[in-house]
Amino acid sequence: MNHGQQSGEAKHEDDAALTEFLASLMDYTPTIPDDLVEHYLAKSGFQCPDVRLIRLVAVATQKFVADVASDALQHCKARPAPVVKDKKQHKDKRLILTMEDLSKALREYGVNVKHPEYFADSPSTGMDPATRDE
Amino acid sequence: MSNGGGDSGSQQRELPGKRKLFRGSDFAFSIARMAVAQICESVEVNSYQESQTREGVRFSSFQESALETLTDVGVQYIQSIGKTAHLYANIAGRVDGNSLDIVQALEDLGSGLGFAGVSDTDHCLADSGVVKDIIRYTGEAEEIPFVYSLPRFPFSKEKKPAPSFSEVGAEPPDEHIPIWLPAFPQTKLCDRSEETNAATIEGEIPRKENGSSLPSMQHSFDGGRLDIHKSTKDVRESPEAVVEGNPFLTAPLRIVEKNVSPVVRPLEISNEVVRTNHVPDKYMSNNHHIPVLEASASSDKINNKNWLAEFEDGEKEYVARKQRTLVRFKIGTTKRSTCLAKNQSFQEEGWFQENEDKREKKSEIKEKRERIDSQLSTQM
Repeated sequence: MNHGQQSGEAKHEDDAALTEFLASLMDYTPTIPDDLVEHYLAKSGFQCPDVRLIRLVAVATQKFVADVASDALQHCKARPAPVVKDKKQHKDKRLILTMEDLSKALREYGVNVKHPEYFADSPSTGMDPATRDE
Repeated sequence: MSNGGGDSGSQQRELPGKRKLFRGSDFAFSIARMAVAQICESVEVNSYQESQTREGVRFSSFQESALETLTDVGVQYIQSIGKTAHLYANIAGRVDGNSLDIVQALEDLGSGLGFAGVSDTDHCLADSGVVKDIIRYTGEAEEIPFVYSLPRFPFSKEKKPAPSFSEVGAEPPDEHIPIWLPAFPQTKLCDRSEETNAATIEGEIPRKENGSSLPSMQHSFDGGRLDIHKSTKDVRESPEAVVEGNPFLTAPLRIVEKNVSPVVRPLEISNEVVRTNHVPDKYMSNNHHIPVLEASASSDKINNKNWLAEFEDGEKEYVARKQRTLVRFKIGTTKRSTCLAKNQSFQEEGWFQENEDKREKKSEIKEKRERIDSQLSTQM
């Protein structure tokens, strides 16, 4: 019982963190607009009249995207840059979010993105004409 | 969530619906792309140089396909949160979602990557490591509101439901239709048919204010039937076509003698010898000049059936112009036959060998006729 009471009290404390956070969410405006998040949540079946929950989802998504982007940035930075002239362009490396870096970053999150190297018009493009079925 | 090789041709054909996931033309998707771009812009990786100075490196630009992919991943993330949270709410016997449902959903999604306390089985949901991570994130990251001010979206037009019978004040046409169902809509066709049938139907079936489509179709059918009956009774009255709209409701054609313009005898050209063009009869109409094979005509004179051939004489043209303009087509050259009837058949045979087989048959029949005529004429 003692334990139960203790856990009960602990629960209240833990709850407080969440409720406080939810309250503070109203001050913080997530980058992803509420309407958009609500639209996609409704599309998947989740309905909720509370705005704070929608903001919670928006913030969670923002965090997720930011994590992926930062991982991709690290991959991009970590790649040895093709430095032709050391003196001029050493620090002016323009970082571009490429599919390569993105796929590497997403793989850690369980998302497999395979980007084709080139686009072909049809499945038989580039094949030996003799082997083509036409 | 393996996005195969993008949109290859075969995939497009096989899964047209699935393609829609990627399209950036969707309004919601393009907004999401902007938001994701903003987030990526703000991501900063601090690198420590040898001199211990912090250097924040950011993305300067994006590859378009990479941005679209990331946006799609983000959208699917939101959707999977929603789906999982909805699932947990349903398991708990609720319809509306809860904050704890969302926390559970986040735990499910984050369990692959791991967060603090994921292995604890006995912890409170509100105390979850996921929440703490989020709290920490909001504390650290800079606040970036969305760039554009969005209108309230998605736009949901308040669709007015169709007014019911009781609202309109109309009576449902049949007993089996309850009064609280929406009223039948008006259609243009039924209005027109109603107008034309107004004379024939003398208020047998009560008309509605709406002009409901089903009963008015019944109107038109009944009216059509009535119309037909009346027309058969009345011999004098010519059957009127009911409406331009519905040809199936027109009264049937009666076999009546049509007034046709009288046959004009081409006396001017009866003396001419013209090679006949044996055109099938279907091209002829009643108003055409029907040549009469006159016994009085000379043996080797055969009236031309139709004036489609080349005219070598001005007189012929004059006569031709009197009559209706026909489809002009040439079948070879006209030969003026000066030979006798005996030779005619021979020549006609030769003539027919050039033409189609169809004409051959018809021409053979005419050949016989001409032979008989020529025989008669020779006898005479």
